[in-house]
Amino acid sequence: MVALARKTLIYEWRRFLPAILAVGFAGLLQLLQAALVLGIFGSASVYITGSSADLWAGYPGTQSVNLGRSIDAGVEMRLRMDPAVTAVEPFHWVDADWRGPSDTGGVSVFVSGINARPDGMLFAHALSPALRARLNEPDAVIVDRADLDSLGVGIGDSAVINGHRVRVVGVSNGLRALGGVNVVASLATAAELDTDPSNASRMTYFVAKLRDPAEADDVAARLRGNRAFGSYDVWTAESFARRSQLYWMFDTGAGAGVLFLAGVVFLVGAVITSQTLVAAVIGSVREYATLNALGVGVGALRKVVMEQAFWVGALGLLGSTVLGGIALALARSRSVPVALGPWTTVACLALCMGLAIVSGLAAMRSLRRADPATLLR
Amino acid sequence: MSSISLQARNVTKSFTSGPIHNTVLHNLTLDMRAGELTLISGPSGCGKSTLLAILSGLQRPDAGQVLALGQDLAELNTHALERFRLQHTGFVFQGFNLFPALNALEQVELPLSYLGLAPGEARRRAVASLEEVGLGPRMGLRPSELSGGEKQRVAIARALAKEPDLLFADEPTSALDAANGQIIIDILHRIARTHGTTVLCVSHDPRLVGHADRVLAMEDGRILSDRVPSPTSTPTSGLEEPSA
Repeated sequence: MVALARKTLIYEWRRFLPAILAVGFAGLLQLLQAALVLGIFGSASVYITGSSADLWAGYPGTQSVNLGRSIDAGVEMRLRMDPAVTAVEPFHWVDADWRGPSDTGGVSVFVSGINARPDGMLFAHALSPALRARLNEPDAVIVDRADLDSLGVGIGDSAVINGHRVRVVGVSNGLRALGGVNVVASLATAAELDTDPSNASRMTYFVAKLRDPAEADDVAARLRGNRAFGSYDVWTAESFARRSQLYWMFDTGAGAGVLFLAGVVFLVGAVITSQTLVAAVIGSVREYATLNALGVGVGALRKVVMEQAFWVGALGLLGSTVLGGIALALARSRSVPVALGPWTTVACLALCMGLAIVSGLAAMRSLRRADPATLLR
Repeated sequence: MSSISLQARNVTKSFTSGPIHNTVLHNLTLDMRAGELTLISGPSGCGKSTLLAILSGLQRPDAGQVLALGQDLAELNTHALERFRLQHTGFVFQGFNLFPALNALEQVELPLSYLGLAPGEARRRAVASLEEVGLGPRMGLRPSELSGGEKQRVAIARALAKEPDLLFADEPTSALDAANGQIIIDILHRIARTHGTTVLCVSHDPRLVGHADRVLAMEDGRILSDRVPSPTSTPTSGLEEPSA
């Protein structure tokens, strides 16, 4: 079989280049957009994804982790009573006002009061044991390296949170948050910073580790709804993280924006690609008509056009994968929040292959002009 | 005399363009024999290309019947007609219509692969027909590297490799100089003789008349003359024989 589609694509690559670029850039845009959105909104749940806890107990109906209200400290006992639970830890959340040594004005910060022991669950993935141990010093806090500028401090500098003096003892990566700056402190320091008297003997969250994390759904169902310890609810880390991300994505309207942009990118890509493929078909229409005169069926000719569309899509996607990989690596090295899972990648690439296929279908229509009778003049 | 392979019976065709109704073929009846090169000549607009399109099954007549190899083409639907063309007919057009990306050998192999031939057999046939038109040494070249005459010979080889019973050529020499035109018509003539193919050639090129086995002169949708040319004859129209 003579590979007409591929040979034409290679020989007349200039003709097909706009389509390949259109698919490639559409793919690149979809990938980067998805990575940025997932990265930015993924940071809404950095407290959950950066921690090793399996279950989260908090105020009922909490839509996002940063919106927690305090629950009764007795919930800790309720969690410990369950035989599947191996460890429980409190998480003290304080919305606070930061004043740095340099002139940065007031900065809204989220203080996370955590257990500073080496086996602590909270921020287990974001803080090394050595860094975590430094939180045991009185009034010690840790911030993300990327937030140093906006906080106006360096390591070792002092600042004031809610009128209380603190000292930056270290920096970490992966603590960036949405809507404010994360400041990590020990539970004792956080308690000092919390100026709300109604929070005494109450805690924002309790997190628990399970003997078998696979049982998280069952244990969460078993633990929730017990009114003896006041109002509280229990979620698995996974569902609470997803809920927090979705809250930010849709509360800010970014989700709709992303879908709208994806649609625009698809449309623009499809218009360019289909026009290029149509031009390629029309450029060869007399040759196609000759083949049809010689008895090669219209179905076989359509297959040639679709094969070209497929190769245009494949080459475009190859380009967008390579460029996307480079762009993501660059973003990571600059602490730009990007996150891209395999399924999202596959979905973005499939969307662009769909774009190429739709364009091929559109170009196939112009094969109608390949009427061999028109060759007889 | 060899058998009749292609017949037109009372074929009529007209085109309507806006308010103008134009009858291109008037009740034409015609027989063609295998192993002969039949030339249809006449001024442009006389309906000779339309006649070729109808006889080859590329267009359907308004009235009348076309029998090709004993098959009534009106009985075939579009798909069956494509199948019939694939198996039995070859075409050579004025424009060479070669794919720029393919070399001569691939141009000829391409339609063969749709015939269901094994790759080895398709290759063998393609090489043989390129050698038959004298392009054996140049079969690796693309159209951009071939002269006009060579391109037309590739187009002929492409039609010939299918081993068609019917070969239709529409103005095959009008884009070529005298020497190349001569080569092309000689090849077409030789194909008719050696393969027993029915070759129907439409042309207004007077140089071809001396090479045809039979010349039909057309004007205004009618056949004016049907004669066997002498090698020295000129294309002046005559009425030696009434139209069939």
